[in-house]
Parts: sequence; C-alpha cells; structure tokens
Amino acid sequence: MKTFKLVSAFSVLAFSTLMMTSVTAASIPEDRIDTLRQAPINVEPNPPAMQAVLNKDIKEMRNYPMQPPVIPHKIDGYQLDLKVNKCMSCHARHRTGDSQAPMVSVTHYMDRDNNFLAELSPRRYFCTQCHVPQLDAKLLVENDFVDMDHLIKANTEQNKH
Amino acid sequence: MNMNRRDFIKANAVIAAAGAAGLALPASASNLITSSEQTKLEWNKAPCRFCGTGCSVIVATRDGKVVATHGDANSEVNRGLNCIKGYFLSKIMYGSDRLTTPMLRMTDGKYDKHGEFTPISWDSAFDIMAQKWKETLKAKGPTAVGMFGSGQWTVWEGYAAVKLMKAGFGSNNIDPNARHCMASAVVGFMRTFGIDEPMGCYDDMEAADAFVLWGSNMAEMHPILWTRVTDRRLSASHVKVAVLSTFEHRSFDLADLPIVFTPQTDLAILNFIANYIIQNDKVNWDFVKKHVNFRQGTTDIGYGLRPTHPLEQKAKNVKTAGDSTPIDFDTFKAFVAEYTVEKVSKMSGVPEAKLIELAKLYADPETKVTSFWTMGFNQHTRGVWCNNLIYNIHLLTGKISTPGNSPFSLTGQPSACGTAREVGTFSHRLPADMVVTNPEHRKHAEEIWKIPSGIIPPKPGYHAVEQNRRLKDGDLNCYWVQVNNNMQAGPNINEEGLPGYRNPANFIVVSDAYPTVTTQAADLILPTAMWVEKEGAYGNAERRTQFWHQMVQAPGDSHSDLWQLMEFSKRFTTDEVWSKEVLAANPQFKGKTLFEVLYKNGNVDKFPLADTDPKYLNNEAKHFGFYVQKGLFEEYATFGRGHGHDLAPFDAYHEAHGIRWPVVNGKETKWRFREGSDPYVKPGSGFEFYGKPDGRAVIYALPFEPPAESPDTEYDMWLSTGRVLEHWHSGSMTQRVPELYRAFPDAVCFMHPEDAKKRGLRRGDEVRVVSRRGEIKTRVETRGRNKPPVGLVFVPWFDASQLINKVTLDATDPLSKQTDFKKCAVKIVKV
Amino acid sequence: MLDKLKKIWQVLNRPSVHYSLGFLTLGGFVAGVIFWGGFNTALEATNKEAFCIGCHEMENNVYQELQSTIHFTNRSGVRATCPDCHVPHNWTDKIARKMQASKEVWGKVFGTINTREKFENKRRELAEHEWARLKANDSLECRNCHNFTYMDFTRQSPRAAQMHSTSLASGEKTCIDCHKGIAHHLPDMAGVEGF
Repeated sequence: MKTFKLVSAFSVLAFSTLMMTSVTAASIPEDRIDTLRQAPINVEPNPPAMQAVLNKDIKEMRNYPMQPPVIPHKIDGYQLDLKVNKCMSCHARHRTGDSQAPMVSVTHYMDRDNNFLAELSPRRYFCTQCHVPQLDAKLLVENDFVDMDHLIKANTEQNKH
Repeated sequence: MNMNRRDFIKANAVIAAAGAAGLALPASASNLITSSEQTKLEWNKAPCRFCGTGCSVIVATRDGKVVATHGDANSEVNRGLNCIKGYFLSKIMYGSDRLTTPMLRMTDGKYDKHGEFTPISWDSAFDIMAQKWKETLKAKGPTAVGMFGSGQWTVWEGYAAVKLMKAGFGSNNIDPNARHCMASAVVGFMRTFGIDEPMGCYDDMEAADAFVLWGSNMAEMHPILWTRVTDRRLSASHVKVAVLSTFEHRSFDLADLPIVFTPQTDLAILNFIANYIIQNDKVNWDFVKKHVNFRQGTTDIGYGLRPTHPLEQKAKNVKTAGDSTPIDFDTFKAFVAEYTVEKVSKMSGVPEAKLIELAKLYADPETKVTSFWTMGFNQHTRGVWCNNLIYNIHLLTGKISTPGNSPFSLTGQPSACGTAREVGTFSHRLPADMVVTNPEHRKHAEEIWKIPSGIIPPKPGYHAVEQNRRLKDGDLNCYWVQVNNNMQAGPNINEEGLPGYRNPANFIVVSDAYPTVTTQAADLILPTAMWVEKEGAYGNAERRTQFWHQMVQAPGDSHSDLWQLMEFSKRFTTDEVWSKEVLAANPQFKGKTLFEVLYKNGNVDKFPLADTDPKYLNNEAKHFGFYVQKGLFEEYATFGRGHGHDLAPFDAYHEAHGIRWPVVNGKETKWRFREGSDPYVKPGSGFEFYGKPDGRAVIYALPFEPPAESPDTEYDMWLSTGRVLEHWHSGSMTQRVPELYRAFPDAVCFMHPEDAKKRGLRRGDEVRVVSRRGEIKTRVETRGRNKPPVGLVFVPWFDASQLINKVTLDATDPLSKQTDFKKCAVKIVKV
Repeated sequence: MLDKLKKIWQVLNRPSVHYSLGFLTLGGFVAGVIFWGGFNTALEATNKEAFCIGCHEMENNVYQELQSTIHFTNRSGVRATCPDCHVPHNWTDKIARKMQASKEVWGKVFGTINTREKFENKRRELAEHEWARLKANDSLECRNCHNFTYMDFTRQSPRAAQMHSTSLASGEKTCIDCHKGIAHHLPDMAGVEGF
C-alpha cells in the first residue's frame, strides 16, 4: 500500500504492523471498488441533482503559483466569441479601475514569441480553456496533493534540529 | 474483514495523518523563506499526460512529490500554454484511492470469479495469471489469449507488449484503445498515401488562410491547438474559420462559417466540394497529372456488426470491403456529378449558400486551407471513406504538404501516433507500418527480434470490438487490459463488454493506477505506476516524439506496465508457448524464458545500467539490471530507420523538447512528401507520395451510404457521445482532481429546449436515455456549452456513474473496425 | 384660413336638428370609448410577445437567444416578454417607440434583415438604438421591475452589491451601462464603452 513508504519513513513500527495486517486482510466487494461509481455495473445509479455555481467572489488559493485561478463567480450567459469577450469587460487592464476585478496576468499580453502586446494576446482569447467556475459538488474522492510550502517549511524545520 | 472502498481509504488516511504529523509546522515558522537554497524545486520536462496535441510541460518536484506544473515555454507545440487539464497535471497522481497492491477476487483464500477483491502479493498475482495463461494456451492455443492496450502506453511499453504477444505468445490478439480513436485515420492514410500519419505539422496553423473543422471540437478537445488557430484567426483579418458539426459547440465561437449538418451527410458534403471544384474548373491539373491516381472503391460494405446481424447479411460486399479498381478522371467526374448543391443541401440541411462558401475556400487557389478532423470523421461507419474524401479535395487542388495547405488528421491520445500506430500495437500490425499478413514483413520483424521464423501468425488477431465479442462467446479466455478503461469506453457494454468480462470461462486482468469500472469487472487488478513515476516516451499528432525521465516513485507496490510485462514474461519458457516443430528446428531456444528471448536478446539489454542518468530515478533499469528503455527503443527504431520512419538516437530525445520524424542526418522533417522539405522525396519530382510504389496518392470515388441506425418513430433522437474540456476520456484521472471535478462533476444530456418542451422536460430533470441495447439515467441540460439541433442529444462519456456506452451501438467502419460513437437512435424518457 | 375655422365652428356650434342632445352626448361618448378601446386593444395586441415573434426575423434570432437567459427562465418563473423591456409603459413614450418600431416592420417587409447574416450585419445598429434609448431614460424598462429602492444588497453576490451600492446608487451609472447583452447576443463590441 501507499502506506508502506510513509510508515517506514517515520518508523512507527508497531503501528504499521498492525495496520498492514488489517489492510492485507481487508477485501472489497466489487460494487465498492470503483470510488467514482459505487454501484454494480449493471445497475444505473440515480444522477445527483444539478449543482449551483459557487458565486461567492472569494478567491480560492492556488495550488502553485502557475496554476490558472478558478473563476469564483457565475459566468452564465457571458458571451465569448468572435464578437465580444465579456470576461475582459471587467478583467482587461483598462477596465479594472471600474470593475475592481483582478487584471489578467501580464503573460496574457504576451504573444507566442513572448513579445508584449497592447491588448490581450489572441492566443489567450478564450478564457474558459484555462479558467473554469466551480460547482457546489461534493467530491467523490479526496486528493492528497501536497502544497510545496508544506514540504519546504517541514524541511527548514528539520534543518534547524 | 469486509471493507468498502471508502473505509479502505480511511484506514490509509490514518497512517497518512500519522506521517503528516512529522511535517507539522511549528507556530514560530516564518511566513517567508528567503533562502533560495531552501525553496529550490527540481524542474524537468515531460509531455502532457492527456490528449494527442502533445504539449510539453515543466514539472516541479520536491521531496519525492510533484508539486507544480506549467506549460513549457521552449516547446514549439504550446509555447508556455496549457489547457485547464494540463495545468492540473500536478494533482492527477494524488487521488487518495490510488491502487497500491495487486488485488484478486477471492473467497476463503482462493481465487473465485465471484469473490471480493483481496490484496495479494505480486508473486501470487503473477502465479495465478501464469497458471491461467498456461492452461488456456495448452487447451486452446494462442488465439485464446489477448491483450488490450492503449495510445497512452509509452513507446517502449507498447513495444514490449507487442513483442510479448506477437513474438512471445505467438498471438496477434493485441489491440489498443486507439482502435476506438484513430483506426479510420490510419486506414485512410494507408489507402490514400500508403504510409501512416499526417504529412503536415502544427506550423501549418501559422500559415493557413482558412481552417475547416470537420466534426472536430478543437476548442474543447485540442485546446492548445485551438489557441494557435485562434491566434492566427484574430491576428490576420483575412483568415476564415469554418466549423462543421452535427451540433453547435464551443468551436463555433470562432466560426466565420458555422455549419450544422444532418448526421452522416458529411460524405455528401465532401463529394459536393469535389464536384464543385471540378465543375468550376478549379482542379490543379499540374499536380493531379503528376502525383495522383484515381480509383473506385467497393460499396455496400456493411457496418462491422456481428455477421449474424441483418444489416451484415444484407450488405453485398462485406468480404471485399477494402477493394478498389483504377478509374480515370472522367469517371471520377461523372461519379461526383450527382452531388449537386441542391441535392446535398436537401440531404444535409445546410443552406446552399453556405455549402458554396465552404467549397470556395477549397477551390480558390489563393487560399491556403488546413482541414482538421478527429472523432467526427474517425468514429463513423464510413470513417475511412471520410478520410479518403477529404484527401480527394486537397489532392484535386494540390493543397497539400506545403505550409498552410494541410489535410490534418488530429489524434486523440497522447501517444496514439507514437505508440499505437508507429509501434503497431494493432491486431494486424507490426512496427513502422508493417502488417502481419505480409510474409516479408513478418520475416523482417522476426529477424530484428531474433526469433525463429513462423512465430508471428499471419492472420490478424481480434480487434477491440471483436475482442469483447469473443470474450462473450468464450473464444478469448485470458485477457490483460493496460492503461485504459474499456468497460466505460467501449461500445455496447451491456450486450458485449460486460457479459464478456464476466463470462465464467474467462480470466480478466486489469492494470491501472486507479480503480475504474474496468477494474470492477476484472478478476485481478494490478496497481500501476503512471506518467512521471516512470521513464517514458510519447509521440503526438505531428510526428513529434517526446521523452521524459522518471521523477518520483509510484505509491505502494505499484509498478509500471513495462515492469509488469517484462516480469510476467519470466514466467514462461519457450517450451510452454512455441510449437514443438519450431523448437526442434531452433534448439538454441529450448528451455529459455520469454524474458530471455524477448528482452535479453542482445538488443534490448545492450545498454548497461551505467548508461542511465544518475540524476534520475529509473526503477525498471535498476530492477532488470540494464537500461531497458533505451534498449527497447533502439531495437524498435531499427524498424523505421531508412524506411521513412527514422527516429533520432535515444539520448537526443532526453535533450530536445520533441523531434518530428523522419529524422535524417540529425534533422527533423516538418512537411513530408514535398521536395526540399522531406529528404525521402527524389530530387526533381516536386512532390512524391513514396508510400505508394509509383509515388502517386489516390483519389477515391466513394458514395454517400446511410448510417447503421437512424432515428425512427420509437427511438426518435440521434445520440452523439464525446468528451468535455475538463475531463480526459473516462475521467479516471481528472475526476480525482477537485478543481476539474467541480468544473464538470456529472454527465448530462444536452438537448434542444424545444425537444425538452415536447417531452414535458425542463433543465435538471432526471431522464432515461434509452436505446435498443441499454439505458442510463442522467439529467437534462438545455443551456450548456453544447447546443444540439432539434432531434439530437449529446451525452459525454467521462462519468463512471453514467455509462453512456450501455446505450451506444457497436457498429464499426468495416475497413478500420472503429466504432461509430456519434450516431445511434435513442429515446429520452422522463423518470 | 380664419374663414374656414369660423365655418367649422359655426357647424359645430349649431344645435342638432335631428338628434337629441342626450343621444349625441351619449353616442359621442360611446363612439369615443369604442374608438379609444379599439385603438388601445390594437395597440395592446401589438404589445404581446406572440405578435413580436410573429415574424421569423424576431423568432429565429432574438427570441432564440432570449430563451436561455435569466430573463426567460429562472428560479421563480417570473419572465420578461419582449415588450416588457422594449416598449415603454408610459403612453406617450409607448406611441413614440411604436412609431420607431414601424421601421423594423419596414425592415421585415423589404427584407433588410431577412437572413441570419443580414440580421447579424445590422445587429450593432439595432442594439445601439436600444442602448441609447435605455441610457436616455435611465433604464426605465429595467427599473419597472428592478426597483433600486427595494434591492436587498445582502441578497446579492458581493460583486453585484459593490457595484449597485456605489455606481448605481450615485446615479453615475444606469443599468444598461453594465448589463448590455443580458437578454440577447451582443454585436461586435469593438469601441463600445465598457468593453
């Protein structure tokens, strides 16, 4: 199991032996194996109700600096086509004074060859290719991604000892 | 002790939490660490794990974890950009339910087809596998064992798998899920050009004056290529974008010429354009006279269903579906003459003016046109024809192999080209475009592989859809699935897939990083290392091969597919798998293991462990004692070098950010078949389609034929299935990334508001999508990103709890054996 | 001229010979009611959505676009019909708008917007008329339903509350300044303020 490495790393030996035995002995019925389904294949589960878009305007922390931020509001009916880019009516540099929305990052003014342009780079025109609103959906499975800050700070702490 | 999966995860979490305690931060920790030594991250390149675009990403690791990813600024493909999926690659390996130990269905400590999944050791896992394989091989021979792989295998994994199956077990029953994805494109290339894969490259996008999307929704499925099309369209005002589809989707947002057509009538529209070009005297005669032949293809070829199906019995030319006869230009002209604008407008529902505007883009000699297509053409019961017909248009006008003039078959998976196609992991193929039916090709392969002649069987094995049918029929009994989720991805799983896997006569092994519905239907599950947990290579749609190093360790007892394949081969000796006659004629092989024959053959083990870069992990090299990946790659590369498929030396790929084959004298090739750009073209010829013996590409006369199933009074709607931007294929990775999951958590049934109204439905209502084969429950979406016309619904297939492939039909293109996932008849019923 | 008016006055001033005063008064009133009622009924008839989308230009373009928006379908089922936003409720303005609308009927009869492409080419012009009208009347038709006095900012998203409590409250902005395209597709917005 994933646990093997962690356990040996922290040498909680007695604990690990206990858990390993119990995990090894554990068996999982077929209907429970697929975390994303949790139902027999030949039975159709009821689809969950459609969720609403989280519309709180509260920024979600990024997982790492280069992650495109998720959109903390609804974008229903926002037109984004050859004629108009509704997102930029708040997030363009010249609109942020009125809108108080964050300006799209400077990278969005750079072309394919990293030259800066006066306006949004055409290659970044379709915002929703990278930025998406979030629905109020309950996660089916957790994610154990570790923030780099945790690792760095843990390391710093270790070095002090 | 009986646990469900969530309890199981919780048990793990306890230990993880104990571990995390060691990382706890002291309250006094400063909020900013200014020492660059302490904040240092290790950065390395890797291709993206998802689609066939082949973006390069830069991966940051720290203390054995991937902690960040961003677009590779030095990659020609994406120049620093990623799509939403690519930006979240850092999190795909960390779903808390990673499989970490082999699990076998057991009752009371023994294998039981109906037992519960019980953790076992790798040794026990291989024991039972080998036992089942040996029993089956002995009782029924090599046609009763099979393997289903993927265009998501690394190059060497696919290569090792082909060797194990074709050179080891002597079975051609190996096919990739690329069969569902690219097979029609492959046969299209082979028929028209005699050699696989696009002649153009992504540089076409910065040179084209017009783009035509044929049933491709690049805005969602190839987002980074779409940024290049968008860049071109918005940077040069003369550029036009035409988008054709059976429903309106996000790519229409950039369309100057939006066209929604009746399903299947793309065949008629393609023929109309050829007719228009001829009628308006826009044929590029200089090109056509020098570089093109005309042929008439066989018609009435059936729908790739079971032979007992009425449609197959009715079809006249099922056996000779791939045949064709030479014709001249005038016969071709007469053939397409019936596809007038009036007739095709009526068939397709597209206004005449739009059809003419579209045809003019191709006809105008001053307009450089790049055509893109993917699943709209390929997942089509006449998919090969569609591919042939689009080449007709580009060949008639000579708009090919020059910058911006490009019939460009996009690819779905990250290595559908690099692995499935180039390595040849199909049931009929061998590396470098060779086929098992050709005795010369078999001989050549056996020589390179240093195995006795006669090991590779001459008869093609079971293709993807046939494998499920044979599992159900009990002809295929031992089956190993790697890097894919075919119980969710394959068509008609109710009638074929599920009965096949659960047939008591069969033993099903599934290797995956995460539990999926395919593992749910399996008998043995093998935990698998993924992406940067192993050294790998992918090949993208523009013939670009990209390498990456192993950067982190996989969790628990996970091992790469490569490790699994090679370890499993140790369990067999030649005496158990090869015939007595072969061994009598080649006594030096007697008693040897398949591992020795296939992987310790002097080629694969040629490069010592010391050749690996000490900076990086390499579990496989360490385990087997030699640089496995390099040995496999270099042996594989000998197939293509000097034959138009030249790959660069192994080490070059670890340095470069991708190189496009053929690589001759250290130089990559951007446009094939054109003098001055492709070193294989003879001087003075201008263009040369050297895949064909006479150097000429073929224009095919092929008609419109109806689809296998159309809506009727009871099943009154078309169903099209497909992907969404935020999820990759069956969602087994992306559904585990919280941000991607929350962006599009559940599948929905996109339908026209009027269709909803007619059925008394409103947005969010629960409905059953029912076909003659099965049904799912989902919810109505009348407002989303896809806007189907009246009479058509679209349901994405990423959702494991809504298996839309219970509903789809397993009708395939009879030439490519690729399923048509875009057309079948359903009804929508309120729950 | 003066003579003519005099003559008319004389006719009107002369008592009736054939009909009684009562009949005339009552009859005149009834006739007036009938005329006025008929006029308004006719006006009302043209003020129904069914009339508006009676021509395919409206039905196929703007009405289709409206259907997926919040003004057509929403949580409470209160929906805006075409005239709610496009026809002033005040009578004189209504007549003025109606006269303007006859130009659109002209467009219908003579086919200046009878294809999607032609409609798209005219879209900016048509939209600008409506923006100008709403700007001039301080978004009156929006405010017929969305009364600023009764807005509960705590029920709005923080972003909306911020805008409404400042720019809208001070009168610096009016609804249409920020809510262009709320019920229909936008035209090419190059050069439009706020985009």
